[in-house]
Amino acid sequence: MKSIFKKAFAVVMALTMVFSLAACGANSYTSNNTEFVIGFSGPLTGPAAVYGVAVQNSAQMAVDEINAAGGLNGVKFKLLATDDTHDATKVAANYASMLEGGMQVSLGTVTTAPGLEFTNLSTEDNVFFITPSASGDDIPANDNGFQMCFADGNQGKVAADYVNSIGLKKIGLFYKSDDAYSNGIYKQFKENLDSSIETVEAVFTDANATDFSAQITTLKDCEFIFMPIYYTPASIFMTQAKDTIAKDAVYYGCDGFDGLAGQFEDFSVIPQEVSMLSHFDSNATEGAAADFIAKYTEKYDADTLNQFGASAYDCVYAIYNAMKAAIDAGEEIDVTISASDLCEILKAQFTGDFSFSGVTGTDITWEDNGYVSKEAVKYTLKTANSAQ
Amino acid sequence: MANLKNIKWKHYINYIVIAVFTVVVSLLSFSGVLKNSDIYLLEKIAIAIILAVSLSMVVGFLGELSLGHAGFMCVGAYLGGKTAVILEPILGEYPTLIVSLLVGGLVAALFGVIIGLPALRLRGDYLAIVTLAFGEIVRSVFMNSSDESFGGSLGLNTPRFDKNALFIIALVLVLACLAVTQNMIRSKHGRAITSIRDNEIAAKATGINVTKYKLLVFTVSSFFAGIAGVLYSYSNFTVQSAKFSYTYSIEILVMVVLGGMGSINGSIIAASLITFLDVKLQTILTGNLAVLQDLFYAVILILLVIYNNAPSLKGFRDKYNIKVLFDKFKRIKKNNPSKINDDEAKWDRVPTKIEMDELLSVDMRVSSQYTPDKPEKEDNNV
Amino acid sequence: MKFIETLINGLSMGSTYAMIALGYTMVYGIAKMLNFAHGDIIMVGGYTIFITMSLSGNPVLGVIAAVIFCVALGITIEKIAYKPLRGASPLAVLITAIGVSYLLQSIAQIIFGSAPKMVNIADLGNLEFAGLTVPVYTLVTLGCSVVIMVVLSLFVKYTKTGRAMIAVSEDKGAAQLMGINVNRIIMITFAIGSGLAAFAGLFMLMKSPSLTNTLGAMPGIKAFTAAVIGGIGSIPGAMVGGLLIGVVEAISLTIPAIAPYTDAIEFLILIIILLVRPTGILGKKKREKV
Repeated sequence: MKSIFKKAFAVVMALTMVFSLAACGANSYTSNNTEFVIGFSGPLTGPAAVYGVAVQNSAQMAVDEINAAGGLNGVKFKLLATDDTHDATKVAANYASMLEGGMQVSLGTVTTAPGLEFTNLSTEDNVFFITPSASGDDIPANDNGFQMCFADGNQGKVAADYVNSIGLKKIGLFYKSDDAYSNGIYKQFKENLDSSIETVEAVFTDANATDFSAQITTLKDCEFIFMPIYYTPASIFMTQAKDTIAKDAVYYGCDGFDGLAGQFEDFSVIPQEVSMLSHFDSNATEGAAADFIAKYTEKYDADTLNQFGASAYDCVYAIYNAMKAAIDAGEEIDVTISASDLCEILKAQFTGDFSFSGVTGTDITWEDNGYVSKEAVKYTLKTANSAQ
Repeated sequence: MANLKNIKWKHYINYIVIAVFTVVVSLLSFSGVLKNSDIYLLEKIAIAIILAVSLSMVVGFLGELSLGHAGFMCVGAYLGGKTAVILEPILGEYPTLIVSLLVGGLVAALFGVIIGLPALRLRGDYLAIVTLAFGEIVRSVFMNSSDESFGGSLGLNTPRFDKNALFIIALVLVLACLAVTQNMIRSKHGRAITSIRDNEIAAKATGINVTKYKLLVFTVSSFFAGIAGVLYSYSNFTVQSAKFSYTYSIEILVMVVLGGMGSINGSIIAASLITFLDVKLQTILTGNLAVLQDLFYAVILILLVIYNNAPSLKGFRDKYNIKVLFDKFKRIKKNNPSKINDDEAKWDRVPTKIEMDELLSVDMRVSSQYTPDKPEKEDNNV
Repeated sequence: MKFIETLINGLSMGSTYAMIALGYTMVYGIAKMLNFAHGDIIMVGGYTIFITMSLSGNPVLGVIAAVIFCVALGITIEKIAYKPLRGASPLAVLITAIGVSYLLQSIAQIIFGSAPKMVNIADLGNLEFAGLTVPVYTLVTLGCSVVIMVVLSLFVKYTKTGRAMIAVSEDKGAAQLMGINVNRIIMITFAIGSGLAAFAGLFMLMKSPSLTNTLGAMPGIKAFTAAVIGGIGSIPGAMVGGLLIGVVEAISLTIPAIAPYTDAIEFLILIIILLVRPTGILGKKKREKV
């Protein structure tokens, strides 16, 4: 009997040891920092990994550039990347570990679903974040959150305004009904669309869906198809539909379309016109975007080049510029500054008259509610073959 | 005090360990030593233990395969979460917690009955596919719900419970879950349940109401899955249905299998260990290393199942296992065969079918090399 | 007109499911095990086609390589993971199969990464007649799967090995006593099933060029559903079940109100059919013995 108690005692002690190990009870995890720590959580593995890896690479590239140029008044930056595999339940642990690792400012999450969790967590500790690509409308719901990408609802509205302006009678809609991004854009689009325009809708749900023949049959007669989806399903749809849908039809997408051209060996096999509403074109040949693309492809696998990365690159520079502007304005930013103090400084900057020019736009400003305000450009990825 | 001596402490050791552990971590948390990441980890471990123990009742003791455990959890998470959203402004935090736990658990249990009643007519693999189908249906319904009802694709926003209290509540619920399952397994009902696993037709012949017991186990198991779901909704700001796919059911099943079928303590240890490693490695490993983790799990799973179940490895298994190693270790320390410590019957480890066969056929094993169970060894060509 | 096109789409989707379901049903009927890793063999077949095509550019060579590699892989998996468990509880075998499925997926992710690979096998274009527009690949998949099913049925009915398969599925012990090498028969079954999976991989890539490590996961589950609906262990049953699931999916996707629930509807059909006919549409009823 005694031995059982002894055993039980031993087990409990062992378990407690595991938990109390290295527990120092310090509340300010940033007090030992020797460089500014930027953290983010994104899908570095799993089916959405291509987005997370793009953000990690690009943000690291920006950090390296800043450090090579001497950092912020001699203080360097460090990027802390954690993997959430696009699973919201993993965010809390990531967030806690980054905070305990000295995170002072964050890029939030890469995708929307985990981002909703991150928004609430970061508000508790007042940590500033500007997300490159979590485009959900609720992501910047609290004071400490900002977006570098367009919010979904906003994209839907702008797209609807465009469609209203070109005078169509009937359009097709193709979206992923269980996806926050796709659904978010779809809803605002539908709301802002002229009621006189007839819509034909087709949906899909499986993230790995590879057969869209049923949806193509539904959308067959449409001359204009709005597709607020990501480029992988879009490329599958276009490949399967290239002979069935009218050759002079137009596919119109949002920033999820970016990277589409890379999915084809020869984009001209698609006879229809493809255009998108976005802030970045990963096939750009001039301007800041082209410079970024050249730098990225030199350093990393071109497979992972997309607007997520470009946006993350801008996020890091935006944070850097804002900190620099704050110092110029007389604020004191020490390397051991707590996340909450830094948040107040950055919040004041971003909601103030701070503006930023980067890869994904020029003279970018932020509204008080955290939404980005920059120009959405309609990129024509390819014109209809018949037009040539 | 005389009664105290007759209690078989061995049977209660898991309660004691968990209870003392709960007290210790609570004290640590009050004194501010526990970090947030530890608290999240504890919540996750508690939820995983409840899930694994409740699934182990169906898989390990009843011998039926359910691949829809995440579906029941999903029901609990959404309904418990919705209850919390509605009631929290009216009732306050703690009464709401109790109500939503009950609502989540009971509705999940109700679904357990609805699915169990017809599905338990089916055997083995068929039941597995039907429960899998059920889980996917539930997920799809919640995923496509309207924004007002269950949040649809964005997920349901639920109030997050005070994080300094939730992990204690979760650990207490682990104890409750353990009490219910363990008492059920050790009672005559438990023996009826394991007899159904070992031979359903023989069990029927001895007058055991097979349907009743199957339904009972299924209902209790889904009740606790629902409870785990409610805890999940309280430990997150949003409930998103993407989490509850069949792969999550499989993850829970892996915990049960790695812990050893029909061993509750095994399930507890495996659930804690896997969750602990998952969370710790998640923040350490990135990129391809994280994929290596999946690879590693898969290999361990295959090897362990083969080691535990392969008929041809029986001799090897008898020679090299944890118990033998333990005994050897003990014998070095004190070798006193005359001392009988306690009643050696192990009620937490109900004998499996293979072991029963052994007990009944001792003569066969001793007398000859003849093995009627595996005639494949004779190699005749067609 | 649209309805007829939808129907043809459905039959084409269904024939891919049927091809996978045939593999499931053969293995289940003979080895009495649910091979959860079957869907992932499709994925392996897809990657084999991808590699061979990027090396040689010849789709025919790709298909041959995929079939050979998948057959070898199927036999290896059977030998290493499933054979030691012959005679153990079905649950243990099922869990090993789940382990193998995870193993294949994570190996594929380590080698090829998670970004989808694009494989353009052949552009077959569309066929137009009587006002219908039908992609040629739909007809090719449908035709191929019917031919394969007929060949398989004939093989099982009229060859020595085929009849040995029936014997093994009826009673393993008795088959052994009749001089049938049960291990060899099970190995052949796995080989055939995996070869069919390679074809399913080809069909899927013909429809859509995108290839990821989870290519076979959901189709695998749906095909298993189809096999159960049709009556597991029955070759025509797998065909019927597969086509049924495909047609239901195609029709459901064209009705906006229920389109998001398509997967749920397919699974609901499975539950209903199992409750009404626990052995599936064409399955045989079996009496249990003590």
